[in-house]
Amino acid sequence: MGRAISITGMGIICAIGDNTKSVLDSLLNKESGIGPVRYLQTIHTDIPVGEIKLSTDEMKLMLGIDSLRPVSRTSIIGAIAVREALEQAGVDNISNKRVVLISGTTVGVMDVTEQFFERMKTEPELQYLPHSNECGRSTEEIALFAGIPSARCCTICTACSSALNAIMVGVEMLQNDEADLVIAGGSEPLSRYHLNGFNSLMILDRERCRPFDETRAGLNLGEGAAYVVLEKDSAKSLAYIGGYANRCDAFHQTATSENGDGAFLAMTDALRMAGLTPKDIKYINAHGTGTPDNDASESAAFKRVFGDDLPDMTSTKSYTGHTTSAAGAVETVICVLAMQNNFIPASLGWEKPIPGGVIPSMGRNNVNLDYVMCNSFGFGGNDSSLILCKNRPELKDNLLPEESCIRVAAQRVVSTKDELQELKDYLSPMDTRRMGTIMKASLLSAFAVLKETGLQRPDAIIAATSKGMLELSTMFLEEIADNHEEHLKPTLFMQSTHNTVASAIAIRTQCHGYNITYSQGEDSYSWALRDAEHLLRNGLATNVLVCAFDEELLDGRTNVFQAESRIYTI
Amino acid sequence: MEELINTIKQQIIDALNLEEMTPDQIDNDAPLFGEGLGLDSIDALELIVILDKCYGIKLKSPAEGKEVFKSVNCIADYVQKNRTK
Repeated sequence: MGRAISITGMGIICAIGDNTKSVLDSLLNKESGIGPVRYLQTIHTDIPVGEIKLSTDEMKLMLGIDSLRPVSRTSIIGAIAVREALEQAGVDNISNKRVVLISGTTVGVMDVTEQFFERMKTEPELQYLPHSNECGRSTEEIALFAGIPSARCCTICTACSSALNAIMVGVEMLQNDEADLVIAGGSEPLSRYHLNGFNSLMILDRERCRPFDETRAGLNLGEGAAYVVLEKDSAKSLAYIGGYANRCDAFHQTATSENGDGAFLAMTDALRMAGLTPKDIKYINAHGTGTPDNDASESAAFKRVFGDDLPDMTSTKSYTGHTTSAAGAVETVICVLAMQNNFIPASLGWEKPIPGGVIPSMGRNNVNLDYVMCNSFGFGGNDSSLILCKNRPELKDNLLPEESCIRVAAQRVVSTKDELQELKDYLSPMDTRRMGTIMKASLLSAFAVLKETGLQRPDAIIAATSKGMLELSTMFLEEIADNHEEHLKPTLFMQSTHNTVASAIAIRTQCHGYNITYSQGEDSYSWALRDAEHLLRNGLATNVLVCAFDEELLDGRTNVFQAESRIYTI
Repeated sequence: MEELINTIKQQIIDALNLEEMTPDQIDNDAPLFGEGLGLDSIDALELIVILDKCYGIKLKSPAEGKEVFKSVNCIADYVQKNRTK
């Protein structure tokens, strides 16, 4: 950690409020935003959700967007939250600054795609619609509607830890003097696509979720957007960034390891970076989704890090629902609100401890929260932890980044079906049974460069993709349409998120190190390369595996594809 | 019963995309998860979809599937007793 990085503004919209003030009031009044579906078009009306209490049209009006124009709810709620964050930060002369908007999302523009999916097949005039998985588009639209069209845009897709990783990348860009002002967070609306996806995984509770309760039966899907404005050496500060870590569970695409290895590493490495001991932490905003799996594994990780002295810990997902890719930012904002107002949010609906598990806080007032930890864990084991400080942290000497050259130690492109036969050298047919073409190509390219360099596993894995797992996403969209939201294949959904490739490489190589996926159209690779250079020059990795992949479809199936892996070293 | 067993085996092979496998390679009594065929939690969810879609049997949670999915014989038994279509 070099210079002090401050949060100078925050913006939020979610099930418990459409700005920081109303979110704070709901938290203090112990009011949950979970309830029946009101706006999302779905047959699953028996599944409670954490919906924003505004229609897309009402929010378009707030932003002055023509109601007839198809715009993703991701972009709309994102722009509302970014506007509030910038207003709070009170930034002058923004046009003279190098502004970067870093946003986490997985839904991207899928909510628009799914509305027009059936019609797009027969009505060519609808082809202009964002018929794709391009998450980066929503970030560009957020910048536009929030009034910062010249901001550089960067989109992070690490599933449910996306927004927390967006904040971390933003902090590092400020540290490296690559930006003057960063707006970082995430945006994820409810969509039929991921409501059905989570439903196919059978992890949605039919009642309000009860994180860390013995009777917990799953999560409630929520929606929201939240952003923080990050600046260095600012005179004004709502909170400071203390430390952080992005680690990988490297266990399974959807299940979590029993001992919470990824969560344990993320928390301990964040503490190490902040120069703190577990005793210093006064509040933890847990990932705590309410699924049997997550809460058991996160509890195990808490015990490993904090022993029997767990600080006040709550999951605020019983208020907001699980806002997935936005969760890290929604909960960072909640952490700062708790720090500013000296309270611990209560664990709504919690009654019985998990046998042998940890006990969450029922809420407290008049507490001084000097150091707060925020956890965000995602599918694929993308686990991250962030530590916030009330006061300016003591700074260690900033080591100047190495100026030495970055070199490519190995490189492999896979772009033909014939080449995929080689994968048999590395994986059995049982291992590859769920993999689509682009996944096979990506893994083969990764295994090949590791073999060439004699590495068992890389120190860090970075993926870059414009459209992600296009074939599997399209197949899942087809199933939703053809089967009318019933009998959907979980296999298609669990492999359709952009971070599937990077996490599959981590699982196969048992790499628990840094793991991230960038998706920003043609700029995806340059963002990945920027991060690889950052890791290598700052001594955070001695080698980085960067995998770029994309595919084009013909009649809904993979037609042209290319995956390229490189090992970068210094 | 034998016909039902073979149908279920083919449904498992198709749903789980067990390339290069034929019904007679799956032992009726061998465990499907862990040591035996080596299926995992996602495969269990796929089996739940098969029960619902093909036999009109709705399991409420993956935990309920643990006993049912012990082996192909167990599945066939359960299907015969509980099918609604």
